[in-house]
Amino acid sequence: MEFVSPEGLRLDGRRPMEMRQLRAKIGAVDKAHGSAYFEMGNTKVIAAVYGPREVQNRSQQLNDQALVRCEYTMANFSTGDRRRKPKGDRRSTEISLVIRQTMEACIMTHLMPRSQIDIFVQVLQADGGTRSACINAATLALADAGIPMHDLVTSCSAGYLNSTPLLDLNYVEDSAGGPDVTVGILPKSTKVTLLQMDSKLPMDIFENVMQLATEGCKAVANYIREVLLEKTKERQKFHGV
Amino acid sequence: MRDIESLRLNQTQKLRFEKALEQLDFLSAAANSNACVAVADTILVDHQDGLLKGHGTTDFDGELVATVCGVVERVNKLVYVRTLRARYKPETGDIIVGRVIEVAPKRWRLEINFTQDAVLMLSSITTGEDIQRRQTADDELNMRSIFVENDVVCAEVRGVQHDGSLHLQARSQKYGKLERGQLLTVPPYLVKRRKQHYHYLEQLGIDLILGCNGFIWVGEHIDTKDDMVEDQVAKSEQQNENPGDNFSKETYTSVEIRQNICRAANAVRVLCALGFNITADVIIETVKLSNSVDIHEMLGPEFYVLVAESEVERRRSSKRI
Amino acid sequence: MLQNKSFVRKTRQGKVVKVVREHYLRDDIYCGAPSCQVCDTKDARLSSSIPSVLVLDTNVVLNQIDLLENPAINNVVVLSVVLDEAKNKNLSVYNRLRALCSNSLRNFFVFSNEYHKDTYVKAMVGESPNDRNDRAIRVATQWYQNHLGSRVQVLLITNDRENKRKATEEGISAETVESFVKSLGQPELLDLLVRPQSDDVHMVDSEDLRPSKRKVIYTEHKPMSEITAGLHSRIYHQGKLRVNRYNPFEAYVGSESIGDEIIIYGRPNMNRAFDGDIVAVELLPQEQWQEEKSLLLADEEDEPEDDVHLVPASADDAPRVANPVEGSDGTMKSVASRPAGRVVGVIKRNWHSYCGSLEPMPMPAGNAGIAHALFVSKDNRIPKIRIQTRQLENLMDKRIIVAVDSWDCSSRYPSGHYVRTIGQIGDRDTESEVVLIENDIDARPFSSQVLACLPPIPWSVSPEDLSNPIRQDLRHIRVFSVDPPGCRDIDDALHCTAFPNGNFEVGVHIADVTNFVHSGTPLDEEATQRGTSVYLVERRIDMLPKPLTEDICSLRADVERLAFSVIWEMTPEAEIISTRFTKSIIKSCAALSYVEAQARMDDRRMVDPLTADLRNMNSLAKIMRQRRIERGALTLASAEVKFQIDTETHDPLDIGMYQIREANQMVEEFMLAANISVAEKILKHFPVCSLLRRHPSPTKEMLEPLLRTAGAVGLSLDVSSSKALADSLDHAVGDDPYFNKLIRILATRCMSQAVYFCSGDLSPPEFFHYGLAALLYTHFTSPIRRYADVVVHRLLAASLGIYKLPNIFQDRPQLTSIADNLNYRHRNAQMASRASVELHTIIYFRTRPTDTQARIVKLRSNGFIVFVPKYGIEGPVYLTARGEKGGGEWSVDEQQQKIKKMDGSVCYSVLDTVNIHMEVVEPQPNRPKLQLTLV
Repeated sequence: MEFVSPEGLRLDGRRPMEMRQLRAKIGAVDKAHGSAYFEMGNTKVIAAVYGPREVQNRSQQLNDQALVRCEYTMANFSTGDRRRKPKGDRRSTEISLVIRQTMEACIMTHLMPRSQIDIFVQVLQADGGTRSACINAATLALADAGIPMHDLVTSCSAGYLNSTPLLDLNYVEDSAGGPDVTVGILPKSTKVTLLQMDSKLPMDIFENVMQLATEGCKAVANYIREVLLEKTKERQKFHGV
Repeated sequence: MRDIESLRLNQTQKLRFEKALEQLDFLSAAANSNACVAVADTILVDHQDGLLKGHGTTDFDGELVATVCGVVERVNKLVYVRTLRARYKPETGDIIVGRVIEVAPKRWRLEINFTQDAVLMLSSITTGEDIQRRQTADDELNMRSIFVENDVVCAEVRGVQHDGSLHLQARSQKYGKLERGQLLTVPPYLVKRRKQHYHYLEQLGIDLILGCNGFIWVGEHIDTKDDMVEDQVAKSEQQNENPGDNFSKETYTSVEIRQNICRAANAVRVLCALGFNITADVIIETVKLSNSVDIHEMLGPEFYVLVAESEVERRRSSKRI
Repeated sequence: MLQNKSFVRKTRQGKVVKVVREHYLRDDIYCGAPSCQVCDTKDARLSSSIPSVLVLDTNVVLNQIDLLENPAINNVVVLSVVLDEAKNKNLSVYNRLRALCSNSLRNFFVFSNEYHKDTYVKAMVGESPNDRNDRAIRVATQWYQNHLGSRVQVLLITNDRENKRKATEEGISAETVESFVKSLGQPELLDLLVRPQSDDVHMVDSEDLRPSKRKVIYTEHKPMSEITAGLHSRIYHQGKLRVNRYNPFEAYVGSESIGDEIIIYGRPNMNRAFDGDIVAVELLPQEQWQEEKSLLLADEEDEPEDDVHLVPASADDAPRVANPVEGSDGTMKSVASRPAGRVVGVIKRNWHSYCGSLEPMPMPAGNAGIAHALFVSKDNRIPKIRIQTRQLENLMDKRIIVAVDSWDCSSRYPSGHYVRTIGQIGDRDTESEVVLIENDIDARPFSSQVLACLPPIPWSVSPEDLSNPIRQDLRHIRVFSVDPPGCRDIDDALHCTAFPNGNFEVGVHIADVTNFVHSGTPLDEEATQRGTSVYLVERRIDMLPKPLTEDICSLRADVERLAFSVIWEMTPEAEIISTRFTKSIIKSCAALSYVEAQARMDDRRMVDPLTADLRNMNSLAKIMRQRRIERGALTLASAEVKFQIDTETHDPLDIGMYQIREANQMVEEFMLAANISVAEKILKHFPVCSLLRRHPSPTKEMLEPLLRTAGAVGLSLDVSSSKALADSLDHAVGDDPYFNKLIRILATRCMSQAVYFCSGDLSPPEFFHYGLAALLYTHFTSPIRRYADVVVHRLLAASLGIYKLPNIFQDRPQLTSIADNLNYRHRNAQMASRASVELHTIIYFRTRPTDTQARIVKLRSNGFIVFVPKYGIEGPVYLTARGEKGGGEWSVDEQQQKIKKMDGSVCYSVLDTVNIHMEVVEPQPNRPKLQLTLV
């Protein structure tokens, strides 16, 4: 199948190096301590952060750092066919773990010993790159919760189809079965906190693809920073001094 | 905290609200709105003087970097980021309101919007007896007669123990169980530490406790707190003998007072939703402002706009002074 | 820059699923006109000199692609909506259109109107997708007109009447293809026009000319829905229709649903299906299975015309079922042979363009120069095609290419249109080109990009090559090559050194092509496409450019060359003790021909070291060969012939069987050994992405004709295994010396061909090579002329850790498609070689009528097929004159494989020797054919 036309346009009209439209909103769940809504094109996710709070299961309590937990779910209506999504299936367990590890890398857990941070992410609409969108949403929610972090983790995927590296795959491109590299970085230090790939790629092409994904992460980071700063300024404005 | 966007403002309300926002913008522009930082933003500092890194900052490649979103504050050589939305950071002596979530051996655990539950030891409360004495096993068995789960309690931060747990004390007549009122939770940054956290709003006949942890108590006024505690103990004894008799008398609160409680609570809700600083004065003013509307309309769009406008007015006047 | 517009589409995947896709509209899509002031003209493709721009409707693209390929049509804007529609409807048209768009000589510009913010059209409520696309085309045309202003005329070309009307209403200038082509004033272009369907703009229907013929000849095809339902309920069977190469009125449909081939007899049952079409077949009632067959013979108006042709080399070339004489009702068996059926619908057409000539016909008078002619394809599996032309006189003696457009059920023949002329019929160059076109062989010179990949000439081994640690210096070793005389592309060389302990070091050195052909370069891509060099009688079409083929890679004598070597240590009993592979530098000391090598070995007086090496190798090879035969390898024979060509005129001077000497067998033996060693090595390292070659065991049915023929002469063959077959072939000794070879030739043609495959696609037992009785086999030894060997070289290099494996190996579907392409090219190359030989045979016999001996190999109702060993050709000998049915005078005994005259005076049986006369006759002008008659 042709994923990039000879005119250099993808199926949805983007060029290979273009991301989908980003949209983010802080504060989506009233009761949560921090929450955010994040959109990458038609992939829409919501994230809520609770904590740091008392550890629920004492035996898991860590005396030198906070316990980070994450739960990823997909709404029944998130895909084309409405289907009951079983909780805790392999895929969501894996993604939960991925998000947890990614976020743990940036949270300054040592500042909050003997506490627990819960991150809940739910996919409202899935159109490829849910992993990335969830990580981005979780970052926003954590920042909203005022949890100290080394850096904003951002994530973006990139693939390789028709011998072209493509940024931010949508569902159609994702399900083509080609290589799909999901990268999460700390943009300030460009440290990689997440790197996953489906399928195989030779090293040199992989580097190009990963480079592209990293660029995507940086773009996301810029956007997220804008959103956060905007929100902070607004809060400060209302609060007065 | 309700979202402003979810309010259904009509056209004129929207215009008024936007105007109010503009003015707020204008008023705060003079202040340090550009001191806002997001996570991972570099904080510009003069490196010559040995500065002290405060909360919400970290060192990255020789730069001072924010770890939270907030406002950069400088106190002498200390540079820190004041977070806006975060959990409560206790300081010794803070007056807080909390909710009992567990009755444990010799202690209660309280949810106080901190990273952990706070501990209120049985030994840290006054039982109302005149003399200080050692707690006995008997007292321990009677703990549930003092506070049970879900009780709202007012206390003071005693300090952080070696093991990192936060301890409270309620060794004063003014601390203790709160009854007949509403507990509201707001982000802690909206409540400033002040000398006075207890307010008796005479014209409304209600008590207002602004907990430093963002828990706000609005309840029926109780005359002399010292008496109350004594009474309570006395009455609890009575209760055991004749529960039915006292029950109706104890729980009765007049409709007027209840309405006032609701008004004050709604005022807090509106202020919180708008993200305005919450003080007793502001609450009183807001309650006054609400006299023209019904209680339930206080959460309608019109009242939000009114509150926003009055806030603008208040800030403007405070500026002039 | 991005505008987001989501739209909702519903697709059916068992259940209705709502698909929401994003659709970004852009403002950075440019118009492609170089003179445009607003747009970025970097990628502008349109010509600035032509003041008009054409916008094509989808129906024009789909139907008139041949016209579009004509250079007269230029300055065209191809809208992406048109491309998408074309892609969905006809992929080959789409590919041709894409090729046009990327052709730098043509001004075809693709305008992505679907993604342009001003030309995107949202489907209105109740609007059909077709109407929406038409509207999109009009909107885009309008946009172009507005965008380019009045100095450029934008013309919409559409054959859809409704679309044209609406366009005119909206103020867009629109024309039909016919009127546009007429306005160009080039009448020959009109020939390229496809006759439109009658429901569109009406044209003179060719069938109207003969009202008597205007009746329904074929049954109507069933609608698609019915076919799908029928396939589901197993009433119909789906499969690819393959027409018998030797009898175009017989076709086979391999059906998975009944696990057997369904035979289709006669054109009415084929119901307008072409060779290669995917069709739906309905089985006939069992009692009709035989009936149909006899009907066929009685019914067909023109008897299948057998031409003299080369001996088929394998079962793939030969007719699938060789039931030669079952025509006469007397010998009919009640045994229902195979299911017969008839085509009820065509699921996918395999129409393309065909090479051939017009059927001779008198010049029609009048009719404004428009003539209807019948086109006869060179490929006799294709029915005659009716075309309309204005240049009949001109085309009469030409080889032309014709494309098929439609086949109405009231028309006996499909209708098509003229595409282009190749040249004069009978002219050797023309006919050679026909051979190339028919076999899809790209004989164009290499492009400049490809040539740019070549190392500079003169090339020699550089010091870097010498110092390269992966390359072993073997220049001190006495290496030599043995090839056919005059061979310029020497890709293998050998050496054989005796060790003091009596063992031998034997090396096979193969030209190191991959040192020059790097993966991913244009050179490599071209070679991938070509797949193999093609050897015609008078020329060679190289896979790699000449400097590589004949110089840089060729392991010529006395020059230093890079090689990839396989080196064994062998005992005198030819047991391999160790094998190693290395890149090397060699210096061949002699490039021998087979004849020379043989002469050296035979000449007892020669005692030089080279001859000693040759003799050592030969003795080793003999042992290896013996061992291989014991393992069950078949010694098959082919009737290869060799021409002597006049160097001046390129006409054949002499023709004879290709002689195989011991030296040939010696070289072959070591090549086989090298290939097997390499196959083992690469499969061990890359179990899923190795390119191997396998030879499937022949099935019972395939061997049936052989058994029948053998049975007729009282020979019983054991075909239970390759070993058994090889043994019984060895024992098949007749009274004359040629008998054994003849049987072997017959056995060979029962086998299918060996094929390349990707090791990940099959399971190890299927890797078996039947003919060689080898568990594993691949091609390693001819990288100059076969691309498979290049691939294997890369695999081997990677398995040695010398080079990285190119990316393509990680992509299994792509590797499979490479293997498929190699098989296809390989087959085509063989077919082309054979066709070229056939062509030259005719040229040779044109001036030399000959009498010679021939052997009967197959009986027919009215004669028999003979094989002429001397010239390696096969052809029919008719006992009765054509036209008369052979029922009367001759009768065929199928059991005995005999054909008898009714009075018993003459009797021919299979494998008999007969004397025949060979002569080229021209039954019709410009249609020479070789005719065989009994002397």
